[in-house]
Amino acid sequence: MQRIECQWCKAQNDADRTSCATCGAPLDQKNLVSDSGWTEAPRLRDMTEFHFSNSTCQIEGEIVPVAELALAQGDAVFFEHHVMLWKEPQVPMSAMNTGGGMKRMLGGMPHIISVAHGPGRVALSRDATGEVVVLPLHPSMEIDVREHAFLAGTHSLTYSFVRIKGLANVMHGGEGMYMDRFVTANEPGLLLLHGYGNVFQKTLAEGEKILIEPGGFLYKDSGVTMNTVQQNLKTGLMRHGMYLAEMTGPGRVGIQSMYVHAGATE
Amino acid sequence: MVTPPQAGTYTCPYCRMPSDKIDLTCPHCGAPVDVRQHVSDSGWSEQPAIRDMARIHFGRSTCQISGKYVPVADFGLHEDDWVYFSHHVLLFMSPTVRSDTLPMAGGWNRMLAGMPLIMMRAAGPGHLALSHDDPGETIAVPLQVSQVVDVAEHRFLGATGNVAYQWHQSNIWYNTQSGNDQETHYPMGMMLDRFTAQGGPGLLLLHSPGNVFIRDLAQGQNILIQPSALIYKDPTVQMRLHFEYPGGTYWFSSARMQTKTAWLTLYGPGRVAVQSVFRRPEMVGFVVSSSGATQQRW
Repeated sequence: MQRIECQWCKAQNDADRTSCATCGAPLDQKNLVSDSGWTEAPRLRDMTEFHFSNSTCQIEGEIVPVAELALAQGDAVFFEHHVMLWKEPQVPMSAMNTGGGMKRMLGGMPHIISVAHGPGRVALSRDATGEVVVLPLHPSMEIDVREHAFLAGTHSLTYSFVRIKGLANVMHGGEGMYMDRFVTANEPGLLLLHGYGNVFQKTLAEGEKILIEPGGFLYKDSGVTMNTVQQNLKTGLMRHGMYLAEMTGPGRVGIQSMYVHAGATE
Repeated sequence: MVTPPQAGTYTCPYCRMPSDKIDLTCPHCGAPVDVRQHVSDSGWSEQPAIRDMARIHFGRSTCQISGKYVPVADFGLHEDDWVYFSHHVLLFMSPTVRSDTLPMAGGWNRMLAGMPLIMMRAAGPGHLALSHDDPGETIAVPLQVSQVVDVAEHRFLGATGNVAYQWHQSNIWYNTQSGNDQETHYPMGMMLDRFTAQGGPGLLLLHSPGNVFIRDLAQGQNILIQPSALIYKDPTVQMRLHFEYPGGTYWFSSARMQTKTAWLTLYGPGRVAVQSVFRRPEMVGFVVSSSGATQQRW
């Protein structure tokens, strides 16, 4: 039987499907790739449904999309507690033990990670215009995500947080002090992110570099190294140090087009 | 949908530039050419959003617009071309791009007016991308040689190297008094950016929160708009404040003064563009003085 490969997550799909069963990306539209090599994250059609484990996720809305999760018995998802839009009353909730409470508090990261267990439905959304980015993770993958950008992770993912290395990166990088890290062990997992504005992804080759505005960073494979480089700008007698994040491959880098620039005055 | 026009016959209704080679989008401003123009009954023409991945050509370089909510302007710069922009709109650049600071005078005035102090310039070869931080539209305004356009502050995204950049006072202000407190307001900003194409055609990119509408005002025609809704105008279009005091019955004598509206009157001739997102001007207290203004008491 003929199969269609999803251009976004590379999963195989039945020939009669119009959206990927694993990530929801439209299968009847080509990936949009800019001349500079950035692939636009697929715009998920309203009410698109895809599957993980025995559960489903449906994306609703296009301006501030909602991820509605229908959890099967034995499945669970975790998320920052303030992104929950609604839930069915019978859905059991618990709190994840994240460890490092003091560090998380100092780093401005959410103190409480909620876990919703099936059976039942919960819906999650963030608070600004943007896109839900669906990242299915194969076993033995590691991905680093900008803090406060993840919407939900499935129960098979291990969640931790890593300190951004280098004082210059922390002080001037604009990404915060920590990044969320998601790891799969023997099972695949599914990660949902919310990108502000539009989201683009580029796969860097070994040693390939790209300079990005730190506020635009969204995620990267853990194999991509991140350093902060300073650009000295001078106007008359005034000097200004602008800091950019230098990403070095190999691996994927995701960016978002709307961000808050720490140095912007308007 | 309409049939794309034949080569050599098309003048873009939005940027007014003729094209020899017709694709599905105008090569000068990226506007789609195969959609019917939407003009409201009142005469405002809706600027169509630039299609995802549409390319705009300038010099020996291109600018590709990607994204729908917060579009990104991705420049593919030839080594002979350069662009400039405010440093906080930079999203990414390849390491081959050469960047430095654009020398600018009047730093103190710019700082007082809340305008960006640092303008960067970047030269090819390589890729460089710019984006603003509001959902909205990217507008490409191609400029003929010596063509001038006035732009409201904070709308500027980037421009090609041959577009000269100056700024001047908007001269739109009013003072209010509430009790003993006096405050000066600049409802459309203290400054207005002015861009002029020099030595050849140039390209100006603006970002507008919300949707964009344009119209041509005839000689003597005028219209009232919210001051912060202005995106750009031809320099022939004159501006003046207009205060409107609504009629009706009031609880106390100062109510009529408190419920007034401050408008910006645009006088033709010339082209104007407005955005659908705006801030209502602060109107606490009585207006005690202002730049040249008209008023209407209903």
